Amino acid sequence: MNDTLFSQLSTLGASLVLLFGIALLWRRSLHSYVVAFQWQSAVLALLAAVIGYFGNDHELYIVAVVLFGLKVLIIPRYLDRLQARIGIEREVTPYVNVASSLIIAGLLVLFAYAVTRPVVSVSTLPTRGGLPLAVGLIFVGLFVIITRKKALTQVVGFLVLENGIALLAVLGTYGIPLIVELGVFLDVLMGFLVMQVFVYQIKTTFDSIDVDRLNQLRG
Amino acid sequence: MNFILLLAPPLLAAALALAVRPYRMFVGWINALLSLVPLGAALRFAAHAIAGGEAPTFGPGEMLRVDSLSALLLLCISAVASLTLLLSPGLGGESVYSARQLRRYHYSINLFIAAMLLAVSANNVGILWIGVEATTIFSAFIVPLTLTQVSVEASWKYILISSVGIALAFTGTVLGYFDFVALSGRSENALNWPVLLESAPRLHPEVMQLAFIFILIGYGTKAGIAPMHTWKPDAYGEAPAPLGALMSSALFAVAMYAIARWKVVADAALQSRFTDTLLMALGLLSLIIAAFSIVLTNNYKRMLAYSSIEHTGLICLGLALGPLGAFAAMLHLVNHTAAKAGMFLLAGHVERQYGSPLIDNVRGLLKAMPWTGALFAATLLMLIGLPPGGIFISEFALFRAGFALEHPWLMAAALALLTIVFVSFISHLNKMLYGEPKNGVAAGDVRHWQIAPLFLCLAVLVTLGLTQPAPLTTLLNQIVTIIAR
Repeated sequence: MNDTLFSQLSTLGASLVLLFGIALLWRRSLHSYVVAFQWQSAVLALLAAVIGYFGNDHELYIVAVVLFGLKVLIIPRYLDRLQARIGIEREVTPYVNVASSLIIAGLLVLFAYAVTRPVVSVSTLPTRGGLPLAVGLIFVGLFVIITRKKALTQVVGFLVLENGIALLAVLGTYGIPLIVELGVFLDVLMGFLVMQVFVYQIKTTFDSIDVDRLNQLRG
Repeated sequence: MNFILLLAPPLLAAALALAVRPYRMFVGWINALLSLVPLGAALRFAAHAIAGGEAPTFGPGEMLRVDSLSALLLLCISAVASLTLLLSPGLGGESVYSARQLRRYHYSINLFIAAMLLAVSANNVGILWIGVEATTIFSAFIVPLTLTQVSVEASWKYILISSVGIALAFTGTVLGYFDFVALSGRSENALNWPVLLESAPRLHPEVMQLAFIFILIGYGTKAGIAPMHTWKPDAYGEAPAPLGALMSSALFAVAMYAIARWKVVADAALQSRFTDTLLMALGLLSLIIAAFSIVLTNNYKRMLAYSSIEHTGLICLGLALGPLGAFAAMLHLVNHTAAKAGMFLLAGHVERQYGSPLIDNVRGLLKAMPWTGALFAATLLMLIGLPPGGIFISEFALFRAGFALEHPWLMAAALALLTIVFVSFISHLNKMLYGEPKNGVAAGDVRHWQIAPLFLCLAVLVTLGLTQPAPLTTLLNQIVTIIAR
C-alpha cells in the first residue's frame, strides 16, 4: 500500500518537474523562464523530501533544504537582478518556433523512454517510473540551450538540465552520497555565478545578450 | 602528509593572490616557488608507486588515493603548473595587463591547478567529477583576461559547452552508481573507484553501456574529442598563453584520465569491445577534423589547438588498442604534455612581440627573435613527430600496437591524416620563420629567464626520444596493468 502511494507520488512529482521544464518552450519573457525554473525547483525539493520520508533516508532532507535554498530562493533572485541590470530582452525568435519545439520535446521524452528501458527494467525501486522523465528533462534542457538565442535563457536551460540530473539522482539512487551531493551543489552555485558574470560581460561588450552575435571566431 | 603537500600550496598561493590587493610582483614569484612543493609531492608519490608500494589513501571514506596512474598525471600537471607559473604575466615588471587583471589571473590559475590536482588524486568518482567541473569554473574566469568581443565569445562558448558536457558526465556517473545501488544497496564508499571496479563484473551491461556513453560524451567534451571539440580552438586561441599551456597539456590529460578510469569499470562490466569501438570511432573522427582544420587555419594559436585535437584522437586510439596501445597512449600523454606546454608558452612570446596571432603577420621569426624562433621551430618539429623526439617513439609504438591488433585500415587512415598534419605544419612554420619582420616589430628576444625554462620541454622530448628511463617504464607498465585488459 505504502509502496504504491510512494511510486505514484514519485511519478507524479517527476512529471510535474518535467512539465515545468517543457513550460520554458512556450514562454517568451525571461521572467517567466525564471518563474518556471523556480516552481520546478520547488517541486524537486519537495519530491526529495517525500523520497527521503518513504525511502527512509534522512540525508535527503538536507538535500531538499539545500536545493530549496539554492534553486528556489538564491538563484532566481540573482537571475531577476541580472535581468534588471541588462534590461528586458524577450526571447522573441528562438531558432525553432513554439509549435515545433513542443513536438520535439514530446519526441525527446519518447526517446528518453527508449534510452532508459534497460535502466527501468533492472531497477526494483518504487521510484523507477520517474526515471525516463528525468532523462527526458535532461534532453529538454539540452534542447533549450541549443535553440534559444539569449545568453540568459541558455543559462536557465542549463539550470533545468541540472535539475534533470538531480531528479535522476534522487529517483534512481535516493541521492548520491551526501558529501558528493554537497560538492555538486557548490559547483552548481559557482558555475551559475560565473555564467551570470559572463552574461553581463556579453551585454557590455556586444550591447545585447543575443548569442547570434557571437560569431567572430572562425578558422 | 604528502596529500597535504600536494593540495595545500596552490590553495595557499590563491589565498595570497586574493589577499594582496592590488597585485604586487612578489605574489607571482611566491606562487611560482610554492608550485614546486606539489611537484615534489608528486615525485614522492611516483617514487612510492615505482617501488611497488600500496596506493596511499587519505581523508574520510578514503576520498583521495594515488596509484601509478594518478601519480603520472600528478607529475604532468604539477610540472606544467610550475613552468607556467614561472612564465606567467606579472613576474617581469611591465605587463600588458592591469594590476586588477593580474590579481584575478593569479588566484584563478592557482585554484584551477588545485582543482586539477584534486581531480586526479580523487578516489571517489564523484569527487573526480567535482574537480573537473571546478576546473571549468576557474579557468573560464581568465580566458577573457582582457575583455574584447572575441574573448567574451570564446569564454562563453567554453563555459557553456564544457558545463553542459560535464553535466552529462555527471549523468553517466549517476547511472553507474544507480546500477551499483540496485545491486548491493547504498554504501558510503560505493563511488570509490576500486569498490566500483570490484563489483563491476556483476553490474548490468545495458546500464553500464548507457552510463559510459554519457561519460564519454561528457568528459570527451572537456578533452576536446570531436565532435565535442568546438570550444577548443576559440578558448585556446583567446586565453592568455600560460593558461592555454595548462589547458592544452594538463587539463586535457585530466579529462582523458577520467575517461580511462571509467573505461576500466565499463570494460569489466561489459566483457565486450564496446568501449574500444566507440573510442576508435571518435579518435579517428578527431584526427580527420583536426587534420583538415590545420590545413585551413591562419592563426598559430588555433593551429596548436587543432593539434591538441589531433593528439586527443591519437590517445583515444591508443586506449582502444589493448595493453600495447595503452602503453603507447600513456607515453604519448607524457610527450604531448611536454611539447604542448612548451609550444603554447613560446606562442605567447611570439604573440607579445608581433602583436598578432595570425600566421600572415608573423614573418622573419628567426631574425626578430633568434632564440624563441629556433626553439619554436625545434619544439614544433618534435610535436609533429620528427625524430629524435619522444612523440616519434610514442606514435611509432601506437602504430605497432594497431597493426599487432590487426587494424591495418584504421592505422593506415591515421597515418595518412598524420602526414597531412605534418605537411601543413611545416608549411605554416616556414611562413613564420623566414622573410623580413614587418616594420614596427621590435627585434630582440624576450629575457633569458623567460626562455631558458622552455628548453626543459625540448630536453624532456629529446631524452624520451633517445632513451626510456627505467623508472618511467616501470610506472607505465604498472599503469597498463591498471587500465588495459
